[in-house]
Amino acid sequence: MKTVKRTWVVNGESRTVDVPPARRLLDVLRVELKLTGTKEGCGEGECGACTILLNGQPVVSCLMAAGHVPDGSELMTVEGLEKTENGRLLQEAYVEKGAAQCGFCIPGMIMSSYALLTRNPHPDEAEIRTAHAGNLCRCTGYQKIVEAVELAATKWKRA
Amino acid sequence: MRSVEDIACVFPASLKEALEIQADEKRRGRILAGGTDLMVQWESGLQPAPERVVGILGVPELRGIREEDDAIVVGAATTHWQLHTSALVRQFAPALAASAATVGGVQIQSLGTIAGNVANASPAGDLAPALLVTGGSVVVASVAGERTISLAQFFLGYRKIDLKPEELIVRFVLPKLPYGFREGFTKLGPRAAQAISKVMGAWRGKASAGVVESFAVALGSMAPTAVRLGDLEAWLPGKKINKKLLDEVEAKVTASLKPIDDIRSTAEYRGWVSGRLVRGFLEELAHVCG
Repeated sequence: MKTVKRTWVVNGESRTVDVPPARRLLDVLRVELKLTGTKEGCGEGECGACTILLNGQPVVSCLMAAGHVPDGSELMTVEGLEKTENGRLLQEAYVEKGAAQCGFCIPGMIMSSYALLTRNPHPDEAEIRTAHAGNLCRCTGYQKIVEAVELAATKWKRA
Repeated sequence: MRSVEDIACVFPASLKEALEIQADEKRRGRILAGGTDLMVQWESGLQPAPERVVGILGVPELRGIREEDDAIVVGAATTHWQLHTSALVRQFAPALAASAATVGGVQIQSLGTIAGNVANASPAGDLAPALLVTGGSVVVASVAGERTISLAQFFLGYRKIDLKPEELIVRFVLPKLPYGFREGFTKLGPRAAQAISKVMGAWRGKASAGVVESFAVALGSMAPTAVRLGDLEAWLPGKKINKKLLDEVEAKVTASLKPIDDIRSTAEYRGWVSGRLVRGFLEELAHVCG
């Protein structure tokens, strides 16, 4: 099998992988790059557990062929949050509001929160719910997640 | 069975390169854009993974939305997110913007593309009704040159489009919403977000003093392809929008359709709700055009 080499900026660091071109980005993150924070839920793009940010935009990494992610792309996973001030305050807001129950959906959920607040630091509740519509929480703990995003919004630092 | 790990992929950096690959039977591959349909099918084994794939997201000629005098031109690889956040699309093809906003969640909207939605040609393809009511066309290319096909003729049947193996969808040319015209889009599904529709529809039209001047309407998830209701469109102009007309339209629409039965809904429900949907569209038309 012919592999492809790709160099991306992953959570602020330059990382190079050499993988089968249609290997799922999710697997490349978890296996090659050892970033196991990103979870596989359904593997069909329905549940959003594998959500990461590709150049700031939320995508489901289970449906992306790694070779299709061009050199130089910026990838941010849940592990990248603690490296930014806004990421840390978002994590703290999730903790303070008790937004994580079993926790499996949270690495994807919180990336959707981060992307939302980055493009819209003052979302209303409807905007928060729309931005997280692609993230399913089977504990059905949506209310506290919404509250965590609302709390983070009150402290969010604009770029 | 072949898994996605075994697929040989190429990622052309220009349209010329992509078309040359597709012109050569030995190198030709299945076109992959956002992957929101194909990757699911290949990973789940619903469809066998192909031997070769041509990933086209890096082709610059397939990107971007631009304005011409009478139309907006939308690149094939434009994502649903780009469609519904584009000022041009929101102004000149608002039903298309509205339909793109109902595709999956943000994560799917950021990957899936307009050409992928059209090429997949699912009866439930969210963008088809809004594209059809614009009266627009699709431009496809091969090494031999370009071909322009009306969208109404492009959908041939269940998951079938008028595209040759060596051709690639390049862009969509969508006539702008004319002055005084309005559009609308409604999708009925089990959940507001992240749902595949039971029935959906889009309209583009104009009324004045409660009389229909022009009305284009298309329904999706009803038949093997999305359909324009041509007979109704031809019959409506000049008619006053009142309860009698609405009752008549609802009955006509329900009687004229032969809906599909599938896992998402029954023919009976689809037929009934389509009448209600088109009735609602005409009420909207009367309301927004005055």
